[in-house]
Amino acid sequence: MKTVRFRIARPQRAEQWQEFDVPVQDHTTVVDSLEWIRAHLDRTLMYRHSCHHGSCGTCGMVINGTSALACTTRVVDLDLETDQVVTVTPLPTMSHIGDLAVDPTPLFRHFPAAAGYLRPSEANRGSTPPEEVPQYKRFENCIECGLCVSVCPVINLREFMGPAALAAYNRELEKNPGRSDELLPQVEGAEGAAGCDRHLACSAACPTGVYPAKQIVQLRKKIEGWQKNRESGTTGSAGDGSPVVPL
Amino acid sequence: MAVRKSHGHVVIIGGGGTGAAILHDLLLRGFTATLVERGELTSGTTGRHHGQLHSGARYAVGDREIARECMDEVRILQRIAPEAIEMNWGLFVALNEEDNAFAPEFIAACQESGIPATEVPVAQALQMEPQLNPAILRAVKVPDGTIDAWRLPLHFFATARANGGMIKTFTEVVGVIRTAGRVTGVRVLDHAAQNEYDIAADLVVSATGAWAGQIAALAGIALPVTPAPGTMVAVKKRLNNMVISQLHPAGDGDIVVPQRGLSIIGSTQWQTDDPDTVEVPAEDITYLTARAAQLIPAFASTPFHAAWTACRPLAGSSGSVEDGRKLSRDFLAIDHGTTDNTPGLISIIGGKATVLRAMGEQTVDMICHLFGISEGCVTATTPLMSHRGYYNPALAGERAPTGGAL
Repeated sequence: MKTVRFRIARPQRAEQWQEFDVPVQDHTTVVDSLEWIRAHLDRTLMYRHSCHHGSCGTCGMVINGTSALACTTRVVDLDLETDQVVTVTPLPTMSHIGDLAVDPTPLFRHFPAAAGYLRPSEANRGSTPPEEVPQYKRFENCIECGLCVSVCPVINLREFMGPAALAAYNRELEKNPGRSDELLPQVEGAEGAAGCDRHLACSAACPTGVYPAKQIVQLRKKIEGWQKNRESGTTGSAGDGSPVVPL
Repeated sequence: MAVRKSHGHVVIIGGGGTGAAILHDLLLRGFTATLVERGELTSGTTGRHHGQLHSGARYAVGDREIARECMDEVRILQRIAPEAIEMNWGLFVALNEEDNAFAPEFIAACQESGIPATEVPVAQALQMEPQLNPAILRAVKVPDGTIDAWRLPLHFFATARANGGMIKTFTEVVGVIRTAGRVTGVRVLDHAAQNEYDIAADLVVSATGAWAGQIAALAGIALPVTPAPGTMVAVKKRLNNMVISQLHPAGDGDIVVPQRGLSIIGSTQWQTDDPDTVEVPAEDITYLTARAAQLIPAFASTPFHAAWTACRPLAGSSGSVEDGRKLSRDFLAIDHGTTDNTPGLISIIGGKATVLRAMGEQTVDMICHLFGISEGCVTATTPLMSHRGYYNPALAGERAPTGGAL
């Protein structure tokens, strides 16, 4: 057990910053540490958290300058030789509530409507599901944490739907190709897939392997194919997932 | 829809699964309601659930009624929130002769509870789940699944908010207001604004689980609730699609739940005094990993992802709890007007994630009874909004995939 100093942003309070000494073990995470501070030192500390295992996506914050999930960031893995203390600030590009807590409403502004959250499972490919299960399914990789948006260099430059929403469009079109005519017009403009400058910061920040930059590339290809079809007078799809037919 | 007069204003304390379901049900039955939560929604016990959607098979030998209720709720949740469930069924597997001998009793109890449990040959079980321990002696298939412990409750919160429910997060109850003996509201601390204010209520419901004793104490009531934490460990790979459980009477570390890209072993259980100061015991990680490897050997060699604890609430054994109206065998709703001469306050203790909707229904049935009104529950047939609808009402709908792409 060793003691680590946390320096926490509390922008809505007079002191702006506050420091706390926290005992940590090898498996102690940043969210464990925040829980310890709230239980033992300051009951007013505000931060979002829920699942504690990188599934809900609520605990994104900036830890020593890096956007990360507090629940899967172990304190011993941080470079404390260099940084001396663990500095934690709220995730940018969200609405600030207080201390480290943000309101993720901006993240969902540009998501596709009527998109499901399940996908076919790739685990144990070739296995045979029970007869009651047509196909093994699982939740989408994206946990809607907003880390990708928080590091996107484009978001602060100009109007841009952002990596999370564009990745969600691509995933929805992968699953429901019949929605091309409905969804692709919503992402073909300069604020959509064309707005991505391919910095790839989103893919590096994503904690669950969505690789939003790759999703945007795939989305661009879908847009190009669909635009080509439109120009040559064919429909993108029949709207119900059935094969493309010429007009 | 015509605006109708509210039956009354109910304040719910606690933004977990229970509070979510009660809030949703109250609004559909013509109440106005405000929910207050001291932090983010589902930041107590609910969100840290490993995610198993219980067919009830785990409980059937001990209690057919709980098992039957779980099965009913699995069917209902599949209808009202299909995108919040990985419905891949589950396998109970025998690791030793004792487990093997338990199988006939287990299957019979499931079938008596309405759970379609059927034995599958071991070779077939291994085709369903190739990473299963090949030395298993027997396998029984049951309709278990996995929920997203954040997004399923958010389906309820999204729908409740769209129906006019007030949801106040980072709003902590610091006092219970009593007028002439009756609870008439709560005093809250708004952590963001750093100020306190009062919220008036015709009824206050404490859906605070392991924290229910602390809330009751604010009303001067001794409510013995014992927080019972358990540890869970996740590894960085989805090793199974079905929920894998050991075929034995329930014990520690006997279930591996797949979820998204992870597999999770749960759980241990001990008892504590304060649900806020629980930490992960290092030895639990070693123990649970070894237990998981008995079911799925690859678990031990898969990189560690996370370890965490969640506090179940155990109802204490003193008078006030025993006198409470037992709504289900593992879920209590206590009307403090009856037990403590303090009308206007109800405490909810116990229950489980799978039956959150039923807990909401039974609690609101009780509230309707207290208000002297008859208003039927419709939550079993009311589809819920997408979790994303909580943040953007334009995203309320969900649709299943029509393609097969990964």
